[in-house]
Amino acid sequence: MDVDEKLETLMARYQAGDFTAARCLIDRVSPQLHRFLDAYSATRADTDDTLQETWLRIHRVRHTYRPGEPLLPWIYAIARRVRVDHYRKSMRATVRELPLEELPDATAAAPAVLGHAEDLEQLLAPLSASQREVLEMLKVAGMSLEEVARATSCSVGSVKQKVHRAYETLRRTMSARELKNDQSGALP
Amino acid sequence: MDREIDDILQSAAGSPREVPAQLLERIANSIAPSLRPVRLLPPTWVLSSALGLIGAAVALIGAARAGFQGFEALDFLSRVLILGALAVFTWAAARRAVNEWTPGSPRRLSTRGLVAAFSVALAVVFALLFDDYRTENFVSAGLTCLSTGVLHAIPAALIGWWVLRRGCALDSVSAGSAVGALAGLAGLAVLELHCANFEAVHVLVWHTLVVPVSAGFGALTGWALGK
Repeated sequence: MDVDEKLETLMARYQAGDFTAARCLIDRVSPQLHRFLDAYSATRADTDDTLQETWLRIHRVRHTYRPGEPLLPWIYAIARRVRVDHYRKSMRATVRELPLEELPDATAAAPAVLGHAEDLEQLLAPLSASQREVLEMLKVAGMSLEEVARATSCSVGSVKQKVHRAYETLRRTMSARELKNDQSGALP
Repeated sequence: MDREIDDILQSAAGSPREVPAQLLERIANSIAPSLRPVRLLPPTWVLSSALGLIGAAVALIGAARAGFQGFEALDFLSRVLILGALAVFTWAAARRAVNEWTPGSPRRLSTRGLVAAFSVALAVVFALLFDDYRTENFVSAGLTCLSTGVLHAIPAALIGWWVLRRGCALDSVSAGSAVGALAGLAGLAVLELHCANFEAVHVLVWHTLVVPVSAGFGALTGWALGK
């Protein structure tokens, strides 16, 4: 299997029933998909479940991908839907569950998080869900504006506006943080 | 500062998330048993044409049963403008419906925006063509036309949904609304072919209303099915 083979080519082979192509696609897309899904999950196990559910949904509707079209918007559009369904399901379950006296520390069970990921989490924390997903797709997953628009079912203009507003929020937050750091550094 | 933000985003992009190998293995194994070649969806233009033809067929059959009095009473220019506008909007609605059933499709306007644009454009066409501003039996005649239009929209919507059933509607409300709008245009076409009441306000209000009302019913059905 050629590691540089285009995702679209792998998808076409997956549609033709090629398991090696399917496996390669899963290996190549899952890391960025996992990060995308992780932002909206309570625990790492929850993200793992959502990732698996996303791939099962992709498998069920793989005939709806049109060869020649960009693949990532198709995958992310499905992942967004799975994420919403998963969130609704977990909210319904949460309402029915009794609260524990002491909640286990979910992060303790998770593998050590990389420094870059921590930075990213901190950076994106003040953004709204829609701004965050657009910025993640554009800057982290490396999709084009047109592809992000396709994945989020909105126009390119709307994506540009969300990115612009996200940057404004991030600038404001970072300025405030720097000011705070300067003030605490100036104290005797 | 933008550079600092970009640096953080780019370093995150450059350091891919570690996904446990067992999880990837589990995913691959879960799809393996049902992995076989799939029959792809037909191209967008084929599905759109099929939906457009369904709309036209429903309109013609409906008008054939009720009578072509409206069409016969219209002058040539009105026939061309009204049926031309209906054909263009039906094509646009059919494309939108197909896109709603295909994940990751391009979208320049929301379905709600598209329905609003259709309604305004149709109202403008009717306002330009009809200038009889009398209103006799405004409500009773209007409700008859609205119900006739919406009732004819139902078979168009059902057949349209059947054509699109192999697709994947990620937003059931928007998808239902798109099919509803398409079906509403078929219902409106029945009225334009049949209804010979050319009072401007009647046509502007009650005929135009068939499209947003059908789209609304479609959205409601989509919401109920997607719950």
